[in-house]
Amino acid sequence: MSRTIAVVFPSWSGHHESEVHAYAEFERVVRRVSEVSPLVEVESVGTMVMSARGPTRYFGGEDAVARHLSGLCRHENITFGVGIAGSRFAALAAAHLSESRGRPCILDEAVTQGFVDALPVQSVGHIGAVSPDVVGLLRRLGLSTCGAVREVGESALIDRFGAEGRTVWTLVSGGDVRLLSPGAPPSDYAQSQEFEPPLGLATHVVAAVRDTVARMTDSFTAHGMQCVRLLVECETDHAETSTRVWGDPRGFDTVAVLQRITYQLDGWLVSNEADPDAPTSGIVRVRLVPLECREALVVQPVLWGGHEENIERAARAATMALAVHECVAVTVPQWEGGRDITKVYSHVPLSMVNLSNTDASQQRVTDGRGVAREWSGAVPRPSPACVFPEPREVHVADEHGNPVSVSGRHELTHRPASVEIEGYHYRVERVAGPWPVEERWWDTRRRRRHVRVQMLVRTKRGEARVFLLSLEHSVWRLLARYD
Amino acid sequence: MSTVPASVGSVFPGSLAPHVTTGVVETGAQLAERMRVRAATGFGPLPVPGAIASLLPTRGLERGAVYRVSGDAHLSLLYALVSAATGAGSWLALVNLPQVGFLSMHEAGVALHRTVCVGVGDRSAWVNTVGALVDGFDIVAVSSATCSVSDARRIMARARAQSSVVVIVGDAGAFSVDYDMSAVTADWHFSTFASARDVRVAVQGRRLHAQRSCCMSLPGAPSVGVSP
Repeated sequence: MSRTIAVVFPSWSGHHESEVHAYAEFERVVRRVSEVSPLVEVESVGTMVMSARGPTRYFGGEDAVARHLSGLCRHENITFGVGIAGSRFAALAAAHLSESRGRPCILDEAVTQGFVDALPVQSVGHIGAVSPDVVGLLRRLGLSTCGAVREVGESALIDRFGAEGRTVWTLVSGGDVRLLSPGAPPSDYAQSQEFEPPLGLATHVVAAVRDTVARMTDSFTAHGMQCVRLLVECETDHAETSTRVWGDPRGFDTVAVLQRITYQLDGWLVSNEADPDAPTSGIVRVRLVPLECREALVVQPVLWGGHEENIERAARAATMALAVHECVAVTVPQWEGGRDITKVYSHVPLSMVNLSNTDASQQRVTDGRGVAREWSGAVPRPSPACVFPEPREVHVADEHGNPVSVSGRHELTHRPASVEIEGYHYRVERVAGPWPVEERWWDTRRRRRHVRVQMLVRTKRGEARVFLLSLEHSVWRLLARYD
Repeated sequence: MSTVPASVGSVFPGSLAPHVTTGVVETGAQLAERMRVRAATGFGPLPVPGAIASLLPTRGLERGAVYRVSGDAHLSLLYALVSAATGAGSWLALVNLPQVGFLSMHEAGVALHRTVCVGVGDRSAWVNTVGALVDGFDIVAVSSATCSVSDARRIMARARAQSSVVVIVGDAGAFSVDYDMSAVTADWHFSTFASARDVRVAVQGRRLHAQRSCCMSLPGAPSVGVSP
């Protein structure tokens, strides 16, 4: 176990209007704290973690370090907490406690385990970045404190939750999760990029290192790993450097790394002249050194509903198609139900749905029970393959040419003998139905009464076709064709 | 913003990604086994129901090939053609096909939650839209392929590069079709209502020595191998 110092500003984001602004302001505090320890790790905005070993010896005791840090972190009346404990998780929890108590919270070895045991189980989610699914299940199992979870035992937790269970066990037993893969990643993952001439703006630097970052994250991905701690070192032409360790328990992807570089440089390059640390030249070199990595996808995907890699590809392509031209409309089907064959499924715009959510997508196209339920009075199976979005008007006549209609008892007045569709004549051979539909008969404005008739017809060449027609207000329309 | 599973997927398309996580360092034997599985599932033809499989030389939809469905039962044939593949995880894009009957697709076994409909109002945007869809969808079904010969070649080359299947509904236009399938109604079984239909499906193409045909029931029973 290694003594760790954590400093948290739980309400930091709330005091700043944008994330970028919050990070830029936080960078100033981080730079002040860097006086105490050169390698300050920023996990997210408002959270700093550093090793206690060096500063404790320099300042002569943990009390002195905590007091000194409290002086450095005072920033525009934003409340903060300083915690020192034997593990990262305990230190962060202690820092949160210290924020509410208003003075530093230092846990020595003897009380650390007792402190962790008493923490509510939700804290492994908030502080330890364990997925909400696991935390929720632990709570429902009646394990409300970290101590209760620890009693379950390591093997049982791993048995049930896989790698995530091991993370939970490590957190509640006072260990450091990142020691799980203690081997430092091979040095060939480290990347560096030099600029000539020097770049003075953070956005220019980020644009220039994009390919380098992508190369690094790709090389991780190719080995099934992801980087969880990354050292970013920026150097100016006058040999001034800004070194920062960034951590993300969910692993860095390319965008996240570029974001962190922006935050780091934004806070440094724009600092004012009065700041003795302000760089006097542009950036000439950026080094990226992964400090720790772990196996990718430690959350067992199959356990929580499965993951389909095709989804991301398809969703990206659909978005690209949408961006081609404004005349392109991308929709997905959604089950509505009902007897009207044209309205059983509706079209929903792509922007309204999340294709990546498989469960939601499956629910969208079924009635919730997994099958398209048979509605009483619906047209029998098989359903027509071709359903016209705008049904065309057709003419149905009996053998003497009289128009065919339907009586009040839903009976055909004459026997249909011929159908004319857009100038083509078909001879009617068999008729099924009529299937009546009375929709909203209680509503005088929206009520609708129509009948559907299925007809087997022959073309002039004797080919069999089946049509589905509707009769409404004495007008026949071609609803669908059995293509 | 790409998540980590997505980036894994982009490097290893198909079923490779989950295997990556099992070990930090992979032995040569493990890699060989993974490539064997990948070749058997990922690069191979997309599955089609048994009756149609016997007509196709690859016994499935050949990746990168262009298919055409015609005849009076062409939509039922299209649904049967794509049902097993979408059930097995492939995504389907329908371009300018507003008349498709989703209920009929559902009955044929097409996974509607992996189906996306695209309507292109302007003819000038058609090529770029289909090109974008071919990049991400395993099967792209298009109707009335109205584009120049060079645009058709571009789309076909992109489909080959991305191992997607293009299905043309109706007129092939400038596309050179690898497999031309036609479905013609032989007879309907009509007792109290239209209950079943016998269809003669014929396939011809450049890679077939002679036309192959067989009779089947369309719409038939839901295809085998449809996962929920």
